Order: sequence, then C-alpha cells, then structure tokens
Amino acid sequence: MTLKDLAKTSFGNLGRHKVRTALSAVGVTVGILTIVTMLSLGVGVQREIVRVFKSAGLETIRVHPATEERTAFNQFAEPRRTVLITTDLVEEIRARDDVVKVVPQVHMPWSLNVSLKIDEELSPVSVGEASWGVGEPFSQPSELVAGEGLSNDAQGEIVVSTSALNSLGYEGQAADDLIGQEVALVLKAPRGDTQTFPLRLVGVIDVKYGFDGPYFDANVGAADSLALKAWWYNDPDILEHAGYDALIVKAASLNDAIQIIEEFEEQGFEVSSLRTMLDTLNKSMVILQTMLGSVGGLALFVASIGIANTMVMSVYERTREIGILKAIGASPGDIRVLFMAEAALIGMLGGVVGAIGGWLLGLGLNEGILAYLRWQDITMTGTFFVVTGWLVALALAFATVVGLLAGLYPAARAARLDPLEALRYE
Amino acid sequence: MDIVVRAVGLTRRYKMGAGFVDALRGVDLTIAREEFVALVGPSGSGKSTVLNLIGGLDRPTSGQVWINGTELGGSDERTLTRHRRQHVGFVFQSFNLLPRLTAEENVALPLMFSGVPEKERRAQARALLERVGLGPRLAHRPTQLSSGEQQRVAIARALVGQPALLLADEPTGNLDTAIGAEIMSLLRELNQEEGLTLLVVTHDPEVAAFADRTVRLRDGQVEL
Repeated sequence: MTLKDLAKTSFGNLGRHKVRTALSAVGVTVGILTIVTMLSLGVGVQREIVRVFKSAGLETIRVHPATEERTAFNQFAEPRRTVLITTDLVEEIRARDDVVKVVPQVHMPWSLNVSLKIDEELSPVSVGEASWGVGEPFSQPSELVAGEGLSNDAQGEIVVSTSALNSLGYEGQAADDLIGQEVALVLKAPRGDTQTFPLRLVGVIDVKYGFDGPYFDANVGAADSLALKAWWYNDPDILEHAGYDALIVKAASLNDAIQIIEEFEEQGFEVSSLRTMLDTLNKSMVILQTMLGSVGGLALFVASIGIANTMVMSVYERTREIGILKAIGASPGDIRVLFMAEAALIGMLGGVVGAIGGWLLGLGLNEGILAYLRWQDITMTGTFFVVTGWLVALALAFATVVGLLAGLYPAARAARLDPLEALRYE
Repeated sequence: MDIVVRAVGLTRRYKMGAGFVDALRGVDLTIAREEFVALVGPSGSGKSTVLNLIGGLDRPTSGQVWINGTELGGSDERTLTRHRRQHVGFVFQSFNLLPRLTAEENVALPLMFSGVPEKERRAQARALLERVGLGPRLAHRPTQLSSGEQQRVAIARALVGQPALLLADEPTGNLDTAIGAEIMSLLRELNQEEGLTLLVVTHDPEVAAFADRTVRLRDGQVEL
C-alpha cells in the first residue's frame, strides 16, 4: 500500500462518519487551542518584557543597603541596616569613569502628613522622588506640561502635578503662571509640631497612573527629601546612621554594569538590575508556560481517550470488512496501518482547527487587551500573543502523535482479528 | 498431470464448550490445473472447512496442503497472507463487497495491497468487469446492482490477482435459480476459455452438475 492509497482510504473511511470524526476531533481541537494560546501568550509576553527591558536600558542598577536578617524577634520591626549607602560612597561612585549617572534616593515614610501650600491655601499631597530620567521599565514617565524637571542634585526646588494644583484652584494658564513662584510643603508631625519648607516651583507634570506605582503629586530632590524625613523623625543625623534608601547607578555599558554589580555585591549591598530581573522573569515565564501547557496536555490526554473509543467502535463496526480485506490479501500490517492512519488523521484534523483557532483567538485577545487598556486610559502598545511557525508545526505534530497513540490499541485489535471469525461477524 | 492443489490427511478440530468437534477427519484432495471440482455434502459435513484450509483462511489441526508444489507450511500469518494474495481468489455466498466502493474500486482493491499503481489497478479492474459482462456498470455501488451483478463483481475481484485457483463457497446460495445458473455458466465459461481452476462448495446438485468432477463429503471424510 502506498502512502497515497493510505491517505485516500483513510479520508474515505473518515468521510463516511463525518459527525463522529468531527466530535472525536473536538477534544484535540480544545487541547491544541489551549496549548497554542497559552504558549503564544508566553512567547508574546516574554518578547514584550525583553523589548521593554532593552529599551529601558539594562545598564541601570539599583543598589539597596544591606539589612539584618529577619528573625522571630525582629520580624515586625523595620530591619536594621548593616551596610549603608553613605554620602562618601555616592561621591566615590560619581567619580568613576564607567558610570554615567548616580541618583541617590530617599523614600518618604508612608505615614508622612504633608500638604502643599500656595498663597496660604493648603492641600494634602503625596511627595516622593521623581522616577523619570533613570529608566524605569513599564512606567510611563510623567509628562512635563510646564517649566522644567528636577535636576539631578536639585535643592530647594519642587515639581507639582496638575491634579494637585487643580485641587488648589489653579488650572490651565493660572497653573503655568505659578512656575518660578515660592510655594511650600507643610509637615504636621504626630508629636504636634508643624514645619514649613519653602520651595521654588520649577515644573508642572501630568501624572499618568499605570501598573507601576507609586506616583507622587510632588517631586523633590534627595537633599530636600532628606530634610523632610529628618524633621519628621526628629532625627537630624538620619543620613549619618541610616544612609540613603537606594542608589540608582547608570553604567556606561552593560559590561560595566555587570562589573559594578559584582563590586557592590562583594561589599554586601543588595543589588537589583533589570538584567537580574530579566533572568528571573525569563525563568518564571518558562515555569508559567509549562504550567499552562500542561492544562492543554490534560485536555489532549482526554481527547486521546475519545479517539481511542471512536476507533474501538469503528473496529467493531467494520469487523466484517476487516475479514473481507484479509481474505482478499490484506496483511495484519496493512490493517494496522489503515486504522492507525485514521486515528492520526483525526488527531491532525483536530490539531489544524485548534492551531488556527488558537492563532485567531490570540489576534482577538491582542486587540481586546489593547482596547481594554485604552479604555482604562493606560497607553501601552505591544503584542501579547505571538504564534510562531514552530509553534504551529509543533502543535500539529503533537496532535498527530496523540492520534497515533490513541490508535495503537484499536489498530492492534483490528490487525489481530481472525479472518474467518471476522467474515462470519454480522 | 499438473497438480494445483494437493491436500493430504487434513483434520480440523474445533474447541466447543468443554469438548471438541472434529470438522474434518483426514481428508485427501487433489485438484489438477484447469479442473472444475464441486465439493458437495450435507450441511456440517466439513465442505467449507476444506475450502478455508486450502484458501489459507484457517489452519489444519494436522495434515498438509501443497499449492503449486509448495507446502502451505506451518503457516505463519505472513505466509498465509501471501498465499491469499497470490494464489487464491474467494467468492462468497453473500458477495462480501465493500458497500461504499464502486464496482471498479471493489475489483481493484486487492491490487492495492499488492502495491500495483492505481492507474494499472483501474485498467485491470475495468477489463475484468467487461469480461464478466458489467462493462456499463463500473461506477455503480453494490446497492445499485442486482444480486447477480454483485456476484459477478465478486468473481471479477477474485480473479484480479490472477490466482492459480478460484474458491467459491455456495456462490449461488443467495441467488434465485435462473440467476444462479447464469453465474455457474459464467464460471464454467471462465474455466473453459481461460483455463481457470475452480473449487466450488455447494449442497445443490444442480450447481455440482456444472463441474468436471464431484467430491462428496460426509462427517468430515471423503465419501468413496
């Protein structure tokens, strides 16, 4: 029997029972559709992550002070810092040739009670360091709508969001006119003291809220943040004994970044860079893909039982036909191959529909997600589901193999039938 | 004399419930080339068993079968398949055509398993269907044919592999007398004109009358 004969015969046999063939194939379709959709999501998201990270710059390193390990005795307390980011360290790093930019960061306490004061009017705001300019992945840099952003070692300057100005009654031109004016941040500590910090308003930003908070209504430089914090905790020497909260270092090149990461780690600092994050993310994506793929695998396993059932039924129904074929010269091998081919074909048909369905579903979901994000006012571009050629090829091969495996037992049964008994079968 | 079939001491014992049934108890049979032999006997006499053993659909409990001087041997499945494919053609009482195939496809089917290219298969099938008088019926399916026509298709299918021997088990059993006579005439004609060797199993003396020689079986033994 040639391959062509085999294909023709199998198609003919399956064509006799179109509904049954289709129903048996549905299981495979569901399985393959799940696998293709899930894997294409994995591929797409991974590509998207790599793209975002590359554009954000893998040269950026974030250094944190080392802290005491948490034990049963201190697990609810703020961990004590063991290796500090001192001003000397900042100066030392800043002097290096392989470093382009160094930004020390001071994190504000979450309990900070602070208001923006313009012309004796007060409005509560959130204050923090500007995140833009140092390459943050996934975040939309807040858009500067008037004036300028903070310089690296800004002192006595503040940038305020449009919404904060709105709540004080400044809109449009009135807001723009505030640039260069003296404003103030007013802190009110739980101990009852109130302190006013006069600052010059240099810029107005339009804060876009996305996946990656926190976004602040007002940005001040590290020196001013430190002053606010020192007053809040009533601790003028806070920099000496706690150091900065973080240090963002942008290396001249990726190789320099790797070198610098090693040096910091030797000194005991906790270092995170996009590079290490990317590696971790890649690893978790593989795990995620495997897990999601397994769901499809389970569906395929169930589908293969369905195909096996269909083929066993088919062998029963065609017992007499098998007898005839054997009488006119078909070998057990011919019979086996015929039934295996039919089972494989059911698998393949299900696979084709599943692969096309998975591809279309991916396209639809891409559009759907972007539409949802637009509706949520989150500007983000990208493709989340990517169906590649190898994914389709793999899915089809897998579907066919599932069919083949399902056909093994029924085909062996058909091949083993005794021709005489088969001919007598009614 | 050119011998096509030689069977010696054929026995066949079937298991039945706790005991055994001896369908054949030592049958000897020789068929010469171009001979037309009728195998007759009452039902249960073992006629069909002899036919199945010679055709390689069944294996004897003891005894040997030679086809064209070669022993059908201890008979592994592969040898039996080759034997059915190359040496014998079967015609059954109930025609046993595949209902979804046309007459032409049914006749061509055995050649598919011997690996003959499709074009050639179809040409041979058409020639044989012409020969049995079904030239205009090539594209008909069995359900569109009369029972006599169906048996003609079956005969053409049995002949398509150019077998040394045609085995027919009650070929007229499902046909009325007139059509049965037509089929027997066709077989006789093939025997006379093409030199086809024939073994026909029947219980009907009218059918046996077409044969050169009649062998009678009773209780699994040849009646002398």
